[in-house]
Amino acid sequence: MTDLDISGAWLVDPAAGREGPGEIVVRDGVLESVVWLEGEEAAGVDDRGVIIAPGFIDLHAHFREPGNEDAETIASGLAAAAHGGFTTVCLMPNTTPPLDEPGVLARVRAAADASGSAVRLLAYGAVTAGRGGETLAALGELADAGVVGFSDDGSCVASASLVRNALAYAGALGLPLVDHAEDATQTDGAEANDGFVATVLGLRGWPAAAEEASVARDLSILAEVVRDVPAARLHLTHVSTAGALDLVRRAKAAGLPVTCDVTPHHLALTDEWIAGSRHWAWEASGDPWSDGAITTEPYASSLRVNPPLRSAADAAACREALLDGTADAVATDHAPHTAVEKDVEFGSAANGISGIETALGLVLAAVDAGLLPLARAMALLTSGPARVLGSAWGRGPTPGLVEGAPADLVVFDRSETWTVEPNVLASRGKNTPLAGRQLAGRVLFTVAGGRLAYEAAD
Amino acid sequence: MSSPTATEASPPADEAPVVVPSVDAAPETQAVAWRHRHLLDLDVVSWPEIELVMRTTDAMREVLERPIAKVPALRGRNVTILFYEASTRTRVSFEVAAKNLSADVVNIAAATSSVSKGESLVDTVRTVEALGAEMLVIRHPVSGAPYLAAETFSGSVLNGGDGWHAHPTQALLDLYTMRSHLPGGSVAGRKVVILGDVLHSRVARSNIWSLTAAGADLWLCGPATLLRGFEAWASRGAAGGGRFNVTSSLDEALRDADVVMALRIQRERMASGLLPSVREYAARYGLTSARLGLAQPGALVMHPGPMNEGVEIAADVAAGTQSVITEQVTNGVAVRMALLYLLAGSRAGGVAPAAAGPNA
Repeated sequence: MTDLDISGAWLVDPAAGREGPGEIVVRDGVLESVVWLEGEEAAGVDDRGVIIAPGFIDLHAHFREPGNEDAETIASGLAAAAHGGFTTVCLMPNTTPPLDEPGVLARVRAAADASGSAVRLLAYGAVTAGRGGETLAALGELADAGVVGFSDDGSCVASASLVRNALAYAGALGLPLVDHAEDATQTDGAEANDGFVATVLGLRGWPAAAEEASVARDLSILAEVVRDVPAARLHLTHVSTAGALDLVRRAKAAGLPVTCDVTPHHLALTDEWIAGSRHWAWEASGDPWSDGAITTEPYASSLRVNPPLRSAADAAACREALLDGTADAVATDHAPHTAVEKDVEFGSAANGISGIETALGLVLAAVDAGLLPLARAMALLTSGPARVLGSAWGRGPTPGLVEGAPADLVVFDRSETWTVEPNVLASRGKNTPLAGRQLAGRVLFTVAGGRLAYEAAD
Repeated sequence: MSSPTATEASPPADEAPVVVPSVDAAPETQAVAWRHRHLLDLDVVSWPEIELVMRTTDAMREVLERPIAKVPALRGRNVTILFYEASTRTRVSFEVAAKNLSADVVNIAAATSSVSKGESLVDTVRTVEALGAEMLVIRHPVSGAPYLAAETFSGSVLNGGDGWHAHPTQALLDLYTMRSHLPGGSVAGRKVVILGDVLHSRVARSNIWSLTAAGADLWLCGPATLLRGFEAWASRGAAGGGRFNVTSSLDEALRDADVVMALRIQRERMASGLLPSVREYAARYGLTSARLGLAQPGALVMHPGPMNEGVEIAADVAAGTQSVITEQVTNGVAVRMALLYLLAGSRAGGVAPAAAGPNA
C-alpha cells in the first residue's frame, strides 16, 4: 500500500472550499492527515509550486477497447489517465461492439481489473441499440449493471423523438442523457470551423449553428420532459460555441436540469492552429496570416476533431462559461487514433485528439495567463464532474482531501514543465497537436483509491 | 549559351534586385532569389518573388518561340506528375513544361496506380521518391494534401491544385496573362472580377493572394451560396493596397471591369442545393456579350478551363476578340517551366528549409 509524506505544498480542496499551504500524510493508502499551515510554517509556500488536489475525474474519454486496441486499450488508457492526474474516467460506449448491453461492460471491467490500474473506470451505455440511432438500447439492464449515463457520443442522437424518449427513460432510472450536439444535416463532410480560416484553407465549413440548433432542440425537449419526469437530466458534452453556451446559460437560469462540459482544447486552441499558428486562444488575433502567428505548416491532421476547433471568440466564451458556472466541468474527449487513421490528408483523417495527458497542461496555460483561478480550475476537474455524475459518482459528497478516506489525489508541480513527446505519452494514441510543446504542471504522483497509479520517473 | 552571370534589372533602391536567371543554363548555376523549396500556395510568396516568376516566365516565353522550344536546364532531373484527379489541361501543361526543360517525366494517374488499392498518400510519395522522383507535381481532391506530400518528400513539391484550397500555377499564369495585356503591364488599380463558383474554387483562392498583392481592385461575384465565407476574407482587406469586394450583383461587379474571369460551374452544385438549376445560373450569371458591354471596352475575358459554354460563359464571348483563354493555356506552359526551373535551383543551392520558414 501507498505511503506518502508531502509538506510545503499548496493544497486545493474543493469540498472544503479551501486552498492554501499545507501538508499531507498518506499511510497504507489512507489519507491519514491533512494539515493546513499558517504563519511562519507557511512561509515561502505559494500556489506556483507543488499543488495537491483531489484526483481528477474525466467525464469523457474513449479507450477503444473492444474493437480498436491498436489505438488504445483499457490498460494503456488507464495508464494515460494516471499520467494526466485522473483517478476516475468515464468511458464513451462507441467501441466495436458498442457498449449497448451489459456483456460489453463486463468485458471492459474485466480488462480494467486485469490491467491492475488503480484508476477507477466508469462507463456510459449507448442510447440506441448498436448506436444505430433507431431504437433504445437496453437502458434498464445497463443501469442495473452500473453505467453512469447514456450517450451515443461520436454521433448526435439524430431523432428528436428518441431524445425525448431517452431523456424520460434514463431520467426515471436516475441517469443523465449525455448528448453530443450536432445537427448532422449541416455538417456533412465538414472539416473545420466555418469561418475565416476554413475559407482561406478551402476546408468545408462546420457551422456553429449545427451545434447550437441541436442544443436548442435538446433543451426544448428537456423543458417538456421534466414536467413528466422531474428526474430527467441532460448533460451536453464538449460544448464549443459561444451561442451554445449562451443557450445552456439561459436554460440553467430558467432552472432546467442541464449540465455541460468543455474540453481543454476548445479552451486553449483555436482553428488558427490549422493555419499553422501556435498561439494560445487568448493570444489569437483572428487573422494568423496578418499577425505573424503562423510558425508551422498548415493542415496538421492532429487538429482535426469533432466538434472542430473554433474561433478565438468561441474559446473566450468557453473560458467565460467555465468561470461563471455555465460549464460544470472540463472533460478531455480523449480520442486516441493510430497513425494509419491520422497520418493522412486533413480531410481524410479521423476526428479526435489524444488529450487525457495534456488536459492539465492546457488548463494550467489558462491559469498561468491569469484567465482562470487555480481553485476554479481544480474544481472543474474534480467537484464539477462529480456533481454532473450525481449519485453515479458513488463516493458520497464532493471530492476533497478528506482525512481517514482512501487517498485519491494528484500531486503536480506548476513550476516544472514537461515536453509532450510520443514516447512520453502512455496512451497508444500519439495524435496530439501539442507534440514538441512544453506544458506546465508536471504530474509527480497520482494516487487513486488508496493505490499509487502514477509516479514521475525521477 | 548565355553567361551564367545573371542579368540585373534596375529595381527601386529600397527593394532587393530581381535577378532573372539565364534559363538555358542549369538552375543550380544561377544566383536567383528564390528561397522556397516547394510551391504549395501563394500566401507565403512575396511580391518580389512573384515578380521573379513573371520575369523568368518572360524568358521561358522566349524559349517557346524558338524553332526548337527546348533548353537543357533540367536534363537528367526526374519530374514526377502525380494526379489524383482527372485532368487533361493542367497535367499536359506540366508535362510539356518539364519536357521543354529536358527533364525526365514520369506520369502517374491515381486511377491506374496502387492508390486505388488503398495505398496512403504518404506511402505513395515514398514510393515515387524511391523510384527516382526529384520534383513532384501533385494534384489532389483534398485541400492541404500537398503539404502532407511535402512533409514526406525530400525534393520539391509543386501544387497542381488541391481541393478547394489552392492552384498557385494557375493564379500565376492568370497574373502573367493579365499583365501582358493591360496597359503598363500592371494590374495595380485595375478592376478584376472573378465570377462564379468561388466557394469551391482553388483558382479563386490562389488568385486572391496574388491579385491583392498586386494591388488590383478585386471583385468576387456569384450567387450568395457560392460566396459563403468570403465576406470575412474581403473585410480583412487587401495586402497590396488594392480593394477586395464581394457581391452577388453581376452588374455592380462588371461595371467598368478591366478583367473578367469566369469560373466553371459543376453540375453537382445543383444536387447539393446550392443552385436551383443550370438554366437559372446561365440566365443570371452567364457571361454574355451583352453583359460584357458593362465592362471597359476591350476588357479581358479569362477562364481557367474546362469551360461549360452556354453556362458560365457564352460561346461567342469565349471565342471573341476579348478572350485570352487560349493564351492562358500557352502562358501556363511558360509559367510552369519558370517554376520548375526556380524550384530546381532552390533545391540545388537554396536556403535550408528550416531557416526559411513555413512552406519554404
